[in-house]
Amino acid sequence: MSEAPLFTRLLALWRKEWIALRRDPQALAALFLMPAVFILIMSFALRDAFNPGAMRLRSVVVDLERSKLSENFALQLRAPEGAAPNAAPAESEAQARALLDRGMADVAVVIDKGFAQGLRGADLGVALPVKVLADPTVAIAVQQGFRQAVTAQLGSLRAAEFSRRVQSLMGMPMPVATAGPGLVPLEQTGSRMQPSAVQQSVPAWLIFGAFFVVIPLAPVFIAERRQGTLQRLHALGLGPGLLLAGKLPPFVLVNLAQALLMLAVGVWGVPLLGGEALHLPDGAGLLRLGVLTLAVSFAAVSWAFLVASFARSTEQATIIGGVGNILMGALGGVMVPKFVMPAGMQALTAISPMSWALDAYLDVFLRGAPFAALLPRLAALCVFALLCLAASVLLLRRRDAYQH
Amino acid sequence: MLALSEVRFRYPQADADALSGVSLSLRAGEILGLLGPNGAGKSTLIALLAGVARPDSGSVTHAEGAPARRLGWAPQDFAFYPALSARENLAVFAGAAGLGGAEARQRIDAAVALGQLDSFIDKPALRLSGGMKRRLNLAIAMLADPPVLLLDEPTVGVDPQSRAFLLDAVRALRDQGKAILYTSHYMEEIEAIADRIAILDHGRILREGTLAEICGEAGAQATLRLGGPLPAPLAQAWAARNALQAIGPQAWTLNLARADELSGVLAALAADKVPVLAAQVGNASLEDVFLRLTHRSLRDEA
Repeated sequence: MSEAPLFTRLLALWRKEWIALRRDPQALAALFLMPAVFILIMSFALRDAFNPGAMRLRSVVVDLERSKLSENFALQLRAPEGAAPNAAPAESEAQARALLDRGMADVAVVIDKGFAQGLRGADLGVALPVKVLADPTVAIAVQQGFRQAVTAQLGSLRAAEFSRRVQSLMGMPMPVATAGPGLVPLEQTGSRMQPSAVQQSVPAWLIFGAFFVVIPLAPVFIAERRQGTLQRLHALGLGPGLLLAGKLPPFVLVNLAQALLMLAVGVWGVPLLGGEALHLPDGAGLLRLGVLTLAVSFAAVSWAFLVASFARSTEQATIIGGVGNILMGALGGVMVPKFVMPAGMQALTAISPMSWALDAYLDVFLRGAPFAALLPRLAALCVFALLCLAASVLLLRRRDAYQH
Repeated sequence: MLALSEVRFRYPQADADALSGVSLSLRAGEILGLLGPNGAGKSTLIALLAGVARPDSGSVTHAEGAPARRLGWAPQDFAFYPALSARENLAVFAGAAGLGGAEARQRIDAAVALGQLDSFIDKPALRLSGGMKRRLNLAIAMLADPPVLLLDEPTVGVDPQSRAFLLDAVRALRDQGKAILYTSHYMEEIEAIADRIAILDHGRILREGTLAEICGEAGAQATLRLGGPLPAPLAQAWAARNALQAIGPQAWTLNLARADELSGVLAALAADKVPVLAAQVGNASLEDVFLRLTHRSLRDEA
């Protein structure tokens, strides 16, 4: 009945989706559990990569000389402010290498014989017999940082030794540095802040999870098309636009529930396991987060409709949806954070809707961006959704007409 | 109630029309049986009548109102939601048809009664037997109480009891004044239920009329068992004129325009001194007509 109340018809379609979703707990579980598990895993897996300074290196110090000066240097390395505060002693370089090989240590400092003599020598340009060994799996930046810290400690020891020598030669007191000057303070500032692991993982996998809706949605949609259910509804006067409107709100609601769970995992789940908690914005920020999640869901469900309308079979839909999501995720900074990508790749992320969404979430979480700053990305997500819906309607009209 | 006039339809990239100049009408209180081999164009024709496809040329005319109000469509496939129970399916399709409140409840009750769905109304459709699914499919088509019903193979895959039940239900609907288009792979079903029959092949209506008209137009068929060989001149003449066919040693069939032509056949045999052991004549069956027209069995692949 084409003149029938629109709301009655939509209500019937929404009711159907709600019942069908409730009767497929496995698909719902996958939809909710997959991104939640990813958030937990990635928040811990990427913790050190996102904050190398916070990494606790397991270090070993090998003193082969055992002179007063070498022991003093080893003590300085192990001091709370030293380069290797948790260093364990080792008897030989071979023993240190074995510990690194077995993964029981990350770095080692080997103080070789001739250390004291070198330190007392007049030529400051001569390298001291000290070397740093590192497990190759430790990030290069972290290895370099450790080496520089050891070098700085060595420099301060050399300066102290030099002062003592001058004092004894001149017979006059000289100020002697007993410890390094400490690190120059570093403050991260500006709008291009880097997220923590949890700030990256929660929105990234929330977005990926939202787009994952294609996996339960598309096969059902294709089955309805192939069994003639959609044509039957069409014959009752429900065109493709109305059919999509009958599916959109239930799946958007599923997405929103999914997003709430992901945020809860970030706020309570990750810290429960010893990780850093996600801090939600408050007040207007929370509202912006809600609007953004709605836009992401609109884009994700519309994309799922497009895949379902385009694919001829469930297998095709699973492949197109799955591969499409992985590509969008890889390009969008979900799987590999954008800031570790080279500049060219970073520019390429602009083509992925997941990247637009992730940038917008980071704007909300990191920068407290006002609504106006989010608008371009919200608009891009909505335009993407509308294009997907328009293409779906066209494809469905064609498929209906030709009974595919 | 519903008419197709000179309808032409071709699928994209197809070499030939799926429907080529089809004209057909469906009247109130009548079952029109549509026969055709697979690929003849039956489902395309139904899609055009249901309004989900549009003809490239020609017209589809509905006597009253919009198609959605006037049509109940039971597709060949089980076009409902397997995860939902029969009751939930009826409620969803009633709502989708725009029926709400008391009207919807009333129509659902009527559909349940029509399909005798009470015993399995709360079972998930997925777990229903083939016969139950067919009844549910028909009940859904009847929800909006449409005056026109399109039933596409409504008994395929069901047991004899369910088939008998469905045929009775369709007859009852016809008796209520519904116009029904009924397609089937079962020739005997069409013979038993249809008031008029249309034979469709390669997108064209080859014959249309009552069973008697169609079979009568096709003439009669004689079966002869002879006591000696058929003389060559007679065999040649009858082969050309009467589609003579050997069906055994000295046993033959031949088509006649009318049953009384048998006397001429027997006279010719007697003139040639060929003994006739047995002779039988009868009208052509629907199956004979169908085979003659399409050169294909109803269950042949296209």
